[in-house]
Amino acid sequence: MMSSNYDELKNIFVDVVDKSAYVELESATYNYDVLESSLDKPLKMVLLYGKPGTGKSMLLNKLYHNLKENREIHYFEAPILSEKEFLKSIYEGMSGQVIPERMRVNFDGLLKYCQKLKNQREIIFLLDECQLYSEPLMEKIRLLSDTRVVKFVITLHKTENEEVIAKEHFKTRIWEVIELCNANEYDLEVYIQKKVIKKGFVDVSNSIKKRDIKFIHTHTNGNFRETNKYLYTIFDIYDYYEKNEPKKISSNKFSRKILEMAAIRLGYINA
Amino acid sequence: MHKVKELENKWFNYKVKKILSPLIAISASSLLVVGGYYIYLSQEDKLHSLISSTVSSSTRATSVLGVSRDANNSINNLQKKEKVIEKIVDKKVLEEKIEEVKLEKKLEEPKILEKIALAPIIPVIDMAKEERIADVKRPRPVKVSRNTVAAKKNDYLTAKELAVVRRTQKREKVVPRKTKKMKFTSSDSNYFETMQHKFSKSNSPRDALLLAKVYYKKAEYVEAEKWALSANKLNNSLEESWLLFAKSKVKLGKKKEALKILVSYYKKSQSIKAKRLIGQIKTGKI
Repeated sequence: MMSSNYDELKNIFVDVVDKSAYVELESATYNYDVLESSLDKPLKMVLLYGKPGTGKSMLLNKLYHNLKENREIHYFEAPILSEKEFLKSIYEGMSGQVIPERMRVNFDGLLKYCQKLKNQREIIFLLDECQLYSEPLMEKIRLLSDTRVVKFVITLHKTENEEVIAKEHFKTRIWEVIELCNANEYDLEVYIQKKVIKKGFVDVSNSIKKRDIKFIHTHTNGNFRETNKYLYTIFDIYDYYEKNEPKKISSNKFSRKILEMAAIRLGYINA
Repeated sequence: MHKVKELENKWFNYKVKKILSPLIAISASSLLVVGGYYIYLSQEDKLHSLISSTVSSSTRATSVLGVSRDANNSINNLQKKEKVIEKIVDKKVLEEKIEEVKLEKKLEEPKILEKIALAPIIPVIDMAKEERIADVKRPRPVKVSRNTVAAKKNDYLTAKELAVVRRTQKREKVVPRKTKKMKFTSSDSNYFETMQHKFSKSNSPRDALLLAKVYYKKAEYVEAEKWALSANKLNNSLEESWLLFAKSKVKLGKKKEALKILVSYYKKSQSIKAKRLIGQIKTGKI
């Protein structure tokens, strides 16, 4: 491992949903293409689902940033659990007006407003963490999507997927289902390398060998969030050694000892 | 900072465990292997010592045969010697094995004797007694006195004798015999009734035993068993009641029970009849 700023390195792997943090992977690119093309189809709802940490939010975020210039698209990063606030946000997104604090949006009025816009506009709403929305609110989303003026792209955790899919209002309206999976070893290697190289740490990228990737993959199962967490911990330990005992990290190799120490800290290894 | 040190300690312990656990497993397995091999070697040594002892004796034997190793150095002779030695070794080993087997058998003999002693039947036959009985049964040769007239060799009557016979035949008129028809009525039921009546009055074990005997003869073994038991209850020294009870049991298919009863009776009474009956039951004669 060459001398590097480990503090900066570890911050690369801080788990944030940011356009800059997005890494182009083969599988992610494919999923993105499917998602983008599905928006051109006359679909009412698009379901994006997968286990936590498989990159759903990241994909949604990328979609938003890529399309916001060309299409009417709104991204609800955090779920809006209050019905009043949700309807207000939808209306504000559609009308471009800011509704005063004391005012509220009437759902019937919103529906009528949508119907008026039929064949004139198509507004896309990206809703993350939809498993947190209440049943009545989901029903309202369904009714809004029926107007064909509003299109929803929703993300769900896989665990909740089957339950929600079974619900009648989802069964009939979800046309496109995109499942996101954990990365394989190859994708994980690309992901780590791209992330590190993006910030200019080429030597660090070269020091991470295939066996290290394999070790990381066995503990994180290719989950991006877990991998970020693991690499953050690894570089955090590196950071400590660099500052306190630099002799211990003098080699050019990615230290197996630190890999194991990080695994112990995160509970991957029961020591 | 302190946390990393702590983590390092944890990692060290983890490594020690990781390295030690397979080492322990390997050492344990190798110990097992070495132990096994040592046992095998010790047995092998025993075998070698046995063979060497036999070889030494065999060399003595070869000297007896006139074969000297020093005298003949040629390969053929050596091969021959080896063959001879092998044969002798084999013989010796065989002999020793036989001796061992004999020893083992000897050791086992007392056990067998014990088993025989414990067995309910002692199949000892008093040959002298048997012979005496046989002598009694054997028809004794008839002593021929010198005064007696020897019988004629042929059965034909002489002319004189025939004349006498013809004369007497003429005198006696042959009267045809009249066959008498006798009526035999079965009195079994009456007998049982009367006997049972008698028993109820007398409550004598002899009567009960009589009834048991009759029932046994009539192959009514359940009844026979019942009456033999009642006879035995009244007088348990009545040997016949024991025997009959056991016999009935055998007939009812309770051979083991019968033997058990008889053995207990035999132990108590040392009765020859009981012993004989045990033998009969065991051999399946009853």
